[in-house]
Amino acid sequence: MTRSGCIGVVPIGAIPHVVPQVIAAHITGYLNLKATVLKPLRNPLYALDERRLQFDAGTILETLESRPFERVDKIIGVLNIDLFLPIFTHVFGEARQHGRVALVSLARLAEEPSEKPQLSPTTLERVVKVALHELGHLYGLTHCENDPCLMHFSGSLEELDRTPLNLCRYCTRYFQDETGGPDHFSEAP
Amino acid sequence: MKNKMSIMVVDDESIVRESLYHWFAKSGHTVDTAASGFEALEKLEQFPFDILFVDIKMPGMDGIELLQKVKSEYPDTIVIIITAYGSIESAIKAMKTGASDYLLKPFKPDYLSLVLEKVTQQQRLTAEYNYLKGHIERITRFDNIIGESRPMQEIFDIIPDIAVSDASVLLTGETGTGKELIARAIHAKSPRVHYPFIAINCGAVPDSLLESELFGHVKGAFTDAAYSRKGFLEVVDGGTLFLDEVGEISPKMQIDLLRVLQEKKITRIGSSESVDVNFRLVSATRRNVEEAIEQGDFREDFYYRVNVIQVHVPPLRERIGDMGLLVDHFLLKYSQETAKRVDCVSDETLKCLKKYAWPGNVRELENAIERAVVLARSRTLTVADFGFLSPPARPVRGAHTLKEMERAHILETLEDCGWNITRASGVLGINRVTLHKKIDRYGLRAHKK
Repeated sequence: MTRSGCIGVVPIGAIPHVVPQVIAAHITGYLNLKATVLKPLRNPLYALDERRLQFDAGTILETLESRPFERVDKIIGVLNIDLFLPIFTHVFGEARQHGRVALVSLARLAEEPSEKPQLSPTTLERVVKVALHELGHLYGLTHCENDPCLMHFSGSLEELDRTPLNLCRYCTRYFQDETGGPDHFSEAP
Repeated sequence: MKNKMSIMVVDDESIVRESLYHWFAKSGHTVDTAASGFEALEKLEQFPFDILFVDIKMPGMDGIELLQKVKSEYPDTIVIIITAYGSIESAIKAMKTGASDYLLKPFKPDYLSLVLEKVTQQQRLTAEYNYLKGHIERITRFDNIIGESRPMQEIFDIIPDIAVSDASVLLTGETGTGKELIARAIHAKSPRVHYPFIAINCGAVPDSLLESELFGHVKGAFTDAAYSRKGFLEVVDGGTLFLDEVGEISPKMQIDLLRVLQEKKITRIGSSESVDVNFRLVSATRRNVEEAIEQGDFREDFYYRVNVIQVHVPPLRERIGDMGLLVDHFLLKYSQETAKRVDCVSDETLKCLKKYAWPGNVRELENAIERAVVLARSRTLTVADFGFLSPPARPVRGAHTLKEMERAHILETLEDCGWNITRASGVLGINRVTLHKKIDRYGLRAHKK
């Protein structure tokens, strides 16, 4: 039995249809939340920084936050564009603590970056990890100091590959409190 | 949650403040922002932030000016400067002013994470250092020397004054009076406290070895010199060198040391290159140095060099008022060490202890109490527990010549001191080497029990 609430996974731009489906399946499988794939949106050209040739993740978040999405509590936007925050060179994904929208981009997660990413199992696993990690922030979770925890900060692909898909027992407890229910779901050993 | 910091982001660009605010919040840190240096200082007055991320270019008060003010008013606050490519020189200036690090924007998220980890570790090390420094000061301060008698109070009063100067100190007094403790107290109260304190018993080291120990040697300097080695005069760098029984140093070594004290340079044995040395000398002797000078054992010029300030440590019999304190101190120490419940000495015992001559001074008292505690069968030590201190006098039958009297007296003293050569030599007022020679000459042997 899943908890109340539903997560909408929305493809933004040209995204292989398998990616949002895999993310939705993992949200249900690992976090025990309902998840559904929403209609795709266009690439957010409004957020393009012409000097950096990257897309401002903050601007995209603000735009999506102001947009109504019916029958879903939280949104995960999936993109294949290079995201940045003004102070950072890039970000794999972005979300704000207790926010409504999170982003994950395939652009820097593919083993061989291209406009049409080759979706190897490794790339898919990375996308799912970033999506679930950012979703954790939407439910108030902070970065965790335990290495074997989904909420541990991963600054590089190597670190991301070492990060598990599970939450540690402390983050699990916090997540349960936030999502309202002591249901069973996957917890790191 | 461990290692969570309080962070303030100071930047006039709201977009930078917001980016960093959300990033730090996601890591669980307490975050606040300020749009100017003035606002940052106002917020610092209200809350002691651990780390400030400060943009170098801001209108009004720039990052460097804010950094200077923060470092002068809140020296424990870590400041990390954020700067753009092209303003590296400002970043270098910031580092010289006291910034812990700088970030060139835009930076990789993992780099920010690394910088945070580094400063967190730095802060932890600083806290650990301050704790250990305080701990060292606690365990080395001179109130671990026990005494409330007038002679000891006079010494306690003078130690801080002596400590702040760099003059050589000569501690005189009988063996076992606590000269090394006084030397350690001088070191602990001196600006050299965080550098080594090295103690050498010159009476226990043969002259040839002492030279190598003090001056060091280079590889091949002598047959056994398989490798180069620094001497204590180099190792002590910045600290205090304590030469115990300085009166036992040979005249040749006195000349060498005199040269070191004058020139502040040494040459390792076998080397031709001199090395600068920096140490404070504290020496001690139980000999009457003036007599030693007259007898030619002690060079007058060396004596004046080591004896800039002289402190006489009184024997226990001259500070018998401290007996109660000392007894309590050693009782507590050895009852804890041996896990035996021995609480006190009887009034009668204390009176007897006060009457005893204590030729070995506080050291002898400490040994006596240790022995009494180890062998004690009740919680209160009685006169019987200290029976070993007053053996019945043995008449010296048929001893007529001076040599026979000397032999008998040495034997008696040795047995009184349990054949402890150091203690017996102290009681007899001769050095250990001389005592060993006399033991051999008279063929003295300890009785097997």
